[in-house]
Amino acid sequence: MSGLAELAQVVGLQYRSGASGELWADCPQAEFSANAKELASRALLSDLFASVGEDGRSLTAVFSTIGDSAWLVLRTQLPDDHFDSLTSAVHAASWYEREIAEMYGIHPDGHPAPQPLRLHDWPHRYHPMRDELSLMKSLPSAHGDRVPKVRGQGVFQLPLGPVRSGPQESAEFLFNSGGEDLVMVSPRFGYKMRLVERLAEGRSVDEALILAERMAGISTYANALAFVQAAERAAGIEIDDETNRARSLLNELERLHHHFGYLGRVADSTGLTVAAAQYAALKEEVLRVNAGLTGHRYLRGLLALGGLSETLSETGHADMVVALPHWEKRSRRLEALLEDTATFIDRLDSTAVLAPDYAAQHNLLGPIGRSTGADRDCRRDHPYAGYKSLPFEVLVKSQGDALARVRIVLFEVGQSLRIVKQVLEQWPKTEPAASPASKGGSALGWAEAPGGESLHFVQLDDAGNVVRWRARPPALVNWHPYAHACASGNNLTDYPVIEASFGISHAEFDR
Amino acid sequence: MSRWVSLGLASGVKTTKFPKAADAAASKAAAAIDLNVQGLTPQLAIDAAAVCPTDAITVEGDSTNGALRFDMGQCVLCGRCIRKAPTAFGYRYKPEVAVKERRALRVEVTWKEGRIAGPGHADEPHSLSPEADELRRQAHRIFGRSLHLRHVDAGSCNGCESELQLLTSPYYDLARLGVFFTPTPRHADGLLVTGVVTRQMHQALMDTYEAMPEPKLVIAAGVCAIGGGCFAGGPTTHGPLDSILPVVVYVPGCPPTPSALIHGLLLATSKVEERYRAGGSAGGA
Repeated sequence: MSGLAELAQVVGLQYRSGASGELWADCPQAEFSANAKELASRALLSDLFASVGEDGRSLTAVFSTIGDSAWLVLRTQLPDDHFDSLTSAVHAASWYEREIAEMYGIHPDGHPAPQPLRLHDWPHRYHPMRDELSLMKSLPSAHGDRVPKVRGQGVFQLPLGPVRSGPQESAEFLFNSGGEDLVMVSPRFGYKMRLVERLAEGRSVDEALILAERMAGISTYANALAFVQAAERAAGIEIDDETNRARSLLNELERLHHHFGYLGRVADSTGLTVAAAQYAALKEEVLRVNAGLTGHRYLRGLLALGGLSETLSETGHADMVVALPHWEKRSRRLEALLEDTATFIDRLDSTAVLAPDYAAQHNLLGPIGRSTGADRDCRRDHPYAGYKSLPFEVLVKSQGDALARVRIVLFEVGQSLRIVKQVLEQWPKTEPAASPASKGGSALGWAEAPGGESLHFVQLDDAGNVVRWRARPPALVNWHPYAHACASGNNLTDYPVIEASFGISHAEFDR
Repeated sequence: MSRWVSLGLASGVKTTKFPKAADAAASKAAAAIDLNVQGLTPQLAIDAAAVCPTDAITVEGDSTNGALRFDMGQCVLCGRCIRKAPTAFGYRYKPEVAVKERRALRVEVTWKEGRIAGPGHADEPHSLSPEADELRRQAHRIFGRSLHLRHVDAGSCNGCESELQLLTSPYYDLARLGVFFTPTPRHADGLLVTGVVTRQMHQALMDTYEAMPEPKLVIAAGVCAIGGGCFAGGPTTHGPLDSILPVVVYVPGCPPTPSALIHGLLLATSKVEERYRAGGSAGGA
């Protein structure tokens, strides 16, 4: 694939370069769909979203290519509540368009299946991102939601959730089964929808950060980092190298506790209780180091516009120096034991397969994407914070099964430890951020969350308040092929393994 | 398989002594923010209220005559008030933050002619239903030996669930205290609720509560369930939880730490007094 600037020229787009290397291109509505399809055939569609504000309705598509650190942002003004759907040509656009339809009431004409993604019992004429909040306070229930069903002799439906069996997130999965085999699984989302982005509108970046941190608990830091970096770019605030290095360190600490938790759940789903307990202990130890270093187990309250709100604690630093060799040794030991445990490997091998050519239509992210041959990691492809000077490797596999996903996560644990070690060797000396003057503007921000690239768009007004915040966390992309993976010749008893091996957050999806 | 067993045995016992003894390693994260009235001035109160993003700190009046209300049940521990008014606000690291009454999380401080008149709990009617009061009196007799919990995520960010999952991990091992998670509400004595009650989860939460046998306890964990936290007032939220169900224990925090949750669960069964008596001084409950 070629660079985005050349690509824009090939498509015939006029563009201007933004502060952080984005290419901004506007086009008339009549050409938007054709241009977007053309770009999506040569680059990756990273996001598609609508905005409705004082300046009217608009549609924005974001593209990226591997080997170019820039983003191409294609925008158009919409004269009415309709646009031509891209979905028939660009499968990855399908859920973005369904989201635009339910949240904004802007209809993707020609979408093959435009039913709501999250709003099951919501009266169709109210659109949560657009209508007055006070109007929606006590809406009546509406039952317009049709769930796809498989019909046939002996086929039955079995609902799982929304209240799950253990202390887990609320989500609903409808199984269609003929007895043993999973014929179809329909996830139903939206049980945790809090309208995080909408609540942030009109607030200062500092206040909106509270919401960005609470979009999803176990990817708190990465999502907040993507948001605050977008706001900093929009406001033209520069971050010094030391702060950037500290920000990368925290990004990796979050990945570590997330991945240890993930591996513990996968081990638990295969009945390996010792491995589950060992990984849970490792997760707790990372959270304690987080707490010692920053005062918060999940690294909340630390990010601030222009830097970090506090300096990293020196005693926390000392604790981490002690803990790191233990984490390295124990995670290597556990990895070797897992690889040598036949009951574990057999449960994961060829379970819930995503074939690379099918997966490629979804532009999947993070470990799930990298297990299907998608060589993407925005720490390397779009270096942010301190990653330019922190070498690490990215593992890509093409099997696309649960085993490949788990092996990628196991590998990433090693790489995260390696990055943490590099930062420890040259400890960043940071100062608490002085509240910098904010100005208006729009920009993208991104960070590699534990589940994959989190891409945020922030528009600020002249006072520095949020006009529009669009979060595209990895969960929004990675849930898309889930139903297909479940139906790839698996049994009901595989389901816990499938769910654990994907390990995608619901809070991050529902927002 | 034998290698897993030997690995498990070789790891030794990691379980905390809490609540019999304080556990410094588990208490590095703040469990709450406290208001120190001695260090408060009217101006600091006004400054702190201005930076509080969740309206946990609110001020009425001006620097001459006015009042500050601090609600731990809305505080997400972001630390902005501490940075603005370090003499008046500070982190509390002891995990004993759970309370039995909503009003115990609220503090009110008034000032007249620019002088702080002193603290007091906010003057409001007892927020609990008579059923919840009765249950609380009976809880120790009924659930003192074992408590089976059904957890419902009514719309959280997944931070609370992450901490709840760690309760059964080696470091906390909830089962040693006679508390267990159960998959079915039919076997549950207690309902542990996290998250703002979203419009979409409201029915599922009510159905779960209805399916539980009497008598039953409801525990609100995390500020989202207690007061809505940063999502309070959103169009898709039904909360606070105690406006929907009779809550017997409130565990503040964002998310509440595992130790704070343990304290809250023991408080719910009134086992906490017994545990602390047995263990001596683990800190002020």
